[in-house]
Formats: sequence, structure tokens, C-alpha cells
Amino acid sequence: MADARRIVVTGMGAVSAAGIGAPALWQAARDGRSCVGEARFARPYRGRIRIAAQVQEFDPASYLTAIELPFCDPVTQYLLVAADEAVAQAGLAFAKPMGPRTATIIGTGVGGMHTMENSLYLTLVEQGRPDPLAIPRHIASAGPSQASIRFGSTGPCFAVASACSSATQAIGMGAHLIRSGFVDRAIVGGTEDCITNSTMLAWEALRVLTPDTCRPFSKNRNGMVIGAGAAVFILEEAELARARGAEALAEIAGYGTSADAKDPVRPDAQGAAACMRHALADAAVEGEEIDYVNAHGTGTTSNDATEAEALRLVFGNRLSNLPVSSTKPIHGHALGAAGALELVVTIGAVRENVAPPTINWREADAKCPVDAVPNVARPMPIHTALTNSFAFGGINASLVVRRAEAA
Amino acid sequence: METKGLDHTELANQIIDVIVKEGMVDREKATLDATIESLDLKSIDIVMILTAIEDKFDVYIPMDGPFHEARNIGDLVDAIAAYVGKEKN
Repeated sequence: MADARRIVVTGMGAVSAAGIGAPALWQAARDGRSCVGEARFARPYRGRIRIAAQVQEFDPASYLTAIELPFCDPVTQYLLVAADEAVAQAGLAFAKPMGPRTATIIGTGVGGMHTMENSLYLTLVEQGRPDPLAIPRHIASAGPSQASIRFGSTGPCFAVASACSSATQAIGMGAHLIRSGFVDRAIVGGTEDCITNSTMLAWEALRVLTPDTCRPFSKNRNGMVIGAGAAVFILEEAELARARGAEALAEIAGYGTSADAKDPVRPDAQGAAACMRHALADAAVEGEEIDYVNAHGTGTTSNDATEAEALRLVFGNRLSNLPVSSTKPIHGHALGAAGALELVVTIGAVRENVAPPTINWREADAKCPVDAVPNVARPMPIHTALTNSFAFGGINASLVVRRAEAA
Repeated sequence: METKGLDHTELANQIIDVIVKEGMVDREKATLDATIESLDLKSIDIVMILTAIEDKFDVYIPMDGPFHEARNIGDLVDAIAAYVGKEKN
């Protein structure tokens, strides 16, 4: 797409189990420092699996006003704090209102899960009076709506709800709206926090959670660990960003998405491979140009074997020499926010020329013949990277990230 | 009542009953040598079967068990019976 409008990232922010800030998340991923610990719950928890990469020690009142807070589920709180960081880094803190040429597109699998659970407990168990603000707080679009209000972005505004592919689709859609000329700038990302009593029990019932250690692509892996948080990016048309003197952190070179159209829960290698191929074609790059892949890599038996097979279909024999790591054992699987947290990591990898490790890796699995960058970060030239998100329902999304050209 | 309770054949039959109901397969097709593939049992069917087994026998079956290696109904019954037996003992 040589003559097409190019899209650069000029700011990013995050709230995650690693703490406040995109640098905290990237550094934890690069250094292989797991943020998984004992989860805390609002009510006594009877589940067997109690570990998660939870956002803890987060005080929303430090960031949001008493007028804003009643409208903000934790997912909106994380989102606005991450968005403030991204907007500040982009040098747009004083550019409010951002106006009609700025879109606001945020992915979330569920929306305000804490609010929903609290509302159900209050009304069904305690027979209490409902909170009048429960609905504006729990709707999936509360995040993008509140962000649009905060930054005065009056262009297209919507939530993307595609389970674990939500954030990657939101980012890809924002990039394409800019490329097509529909808008010039987009506030994109994802947010999620499903670490609640009922949701964790439901995940446990699906038997995809590890009771001990998440070890993607490793033999005898036994499941994933749930994470939470938000990450936000400011995407801009490259020439407009350059004209206002903004530094490009990276380029979003391509986006691909596909549906398996097969099974509600079982992943499919053909669908995932099609998605990655679409992203490479959209970026007009060949497979050989990809230096590093940030995998979906949940650590379940099924995902990792299927993703490895899909990577084999796309990269062929080169796969054994292509670093493919999963950073989910560090920041957890943040579900609808996963693609956003992992884009922070992928941009970090491209900017610092370091492939972050797959920690907890113990032994090769013949069903996952990938170079998983086991346990230790690997300094190496990374010019172009691919990041994957695959979701229940068979919805796949991938982004191609390229080092920003010097201005 | 002995702690061990059921003998293996009786236990196997009860487990097969659950597989038939939760996996929505014909009883006559659910023989010990019938492959999981031939019965079109998917991973989510296995999840539903294990959940029903937990309810029925009041046991906990962790998801890191040998279920991924099970090829046929006999393997599945053995894998499940091991947990039922373990907890009963």
C-alpha cells in the first residue's frame, strides 16, 4: 500500500497488573517478571483457582473526579487513565476538543462486569434498590463514550465486542478508518476486568484455567491465567502527525481479521492462518519480513497447538527460526483488552530491539514447534512484528507493527 | 457402606450414562472401543461431561488430567474413574 495513507502511533498508555503506565507493562514483559498473584474478590470466593494478573493498588479517585466516578466501572477507570497517558505522550493534552475528525474505538469482551455482578447481587440476593447509574456504567460502550466526552472527540465512537479479539479489532478498525480518509486520528485500545466471583467460577468451569503456572507452548502446559487492565493508543495519519511535530512510536502497517465459521470454542488453524495472511497482505509485507511474533499463546493445550499449526501454514519452514513468544504468563490473558496490552509489548519489542520471553517454559512440545524465546529476553533486530488475538466464536485478528521511519 | 462403593463395571456404566446424556450420543454407539472422533465428541462436550461427573459423584476433576490423550470411550472412562476412585478413597 505504498501510496496509501500511513498510520502511526503517537502515544500509548496502560493500566495492568504491572501497574500504571505503558513503560511498567513493557518492562515487566521484557524482564520476564510475572505479575500473577492471589486474586482479591469483593465477596467470599469458593473457586479452586485463585490466581490472576489483577490490577491492584489502583485508586481511581487519584485520577478521576467525584463527578466522573459514579459513571465509571473499573474498566472505564482503567481506560481513562491509560488514555490520559496516551494523549499526553502524543502531545495532545491541550488539543481538546479533538473534534469530528477523531474516532474513539475501544474493545471489551463484556464491558462493566463488576457493575453487572454488583447489580445482580444487590437486586436478586439482597433485594435492594437498584443503582440508577448501573446501566450507563455497565454498557459495553461506556468506555469509548466516556473517552469521547473526556477528549471532545466527536467522530465515530463505538465499542468492539469480539471476546478476546476485541482490542485488536478496535485498533485495526481505527487504523483503517484513518487510511480510508474517514477520520484523521483515532483513540483506540481495549479494556477488561472479569476478575469477579461469578466470572472466575465460570472460567474455571470451562476448564481452561491453570491451577498453578501458565507456560505457553511448553509440554504439559495446563491452561491460562486471567488478566485485567486497559491499554490505549493514539493513531494518526503519518503526514498530519509529522506536520504537527509529533514523534511516531511505531507504524500500524497492516490489519487482518477473519472468522473460522466452525466452532464456538475450538480454535481452527485455517482461520487463524487466513487472518495472519490478511494482515501481511494489508501491510504489503512478505512472511520473511516478520522478525518477531507476539502470539495469542494462552497456555491452553488447544490454543497453542492450533496457533503453532497456523503459524506453520503461514511461515512454513522458516517457523523454527522465527521468534514467537507469549507474554500472557506476565500480564495474564486480559480477554477483550489482551490485544491492546500485547500491542504495548509488541511496540516495545520493535522500539528496543528485544524479543520478550515466554516465561515458565520448561520443555519443547512436538505439537508446538516454535522458537518460543524461552524464559530469557533476546536482543535482536526487530523491524517488523506481528501480534495475534484469537477469540471464542472463532474470531481472529492480527496487526503488523513496523518501526517508525525517522522523520 | 464401604468407602469404595461401586465396582468398576458399575462405575463404568454410570460414567457412560453421563457421556451419553451430556455428549448427546446414542447409547448403543457408546461402546468402550468407540473413538471420541467417531462419536463427534468435541472438547466442549468433554467439559460438559466432566462437569456432570463432578456433580454426580461429588468429586473435583482437574483440567490437567489425561483427557487430551483419551482416544476412545474406554480411555475416557478410565481417566474419569481414576478421579472418582481417588476421591472416594
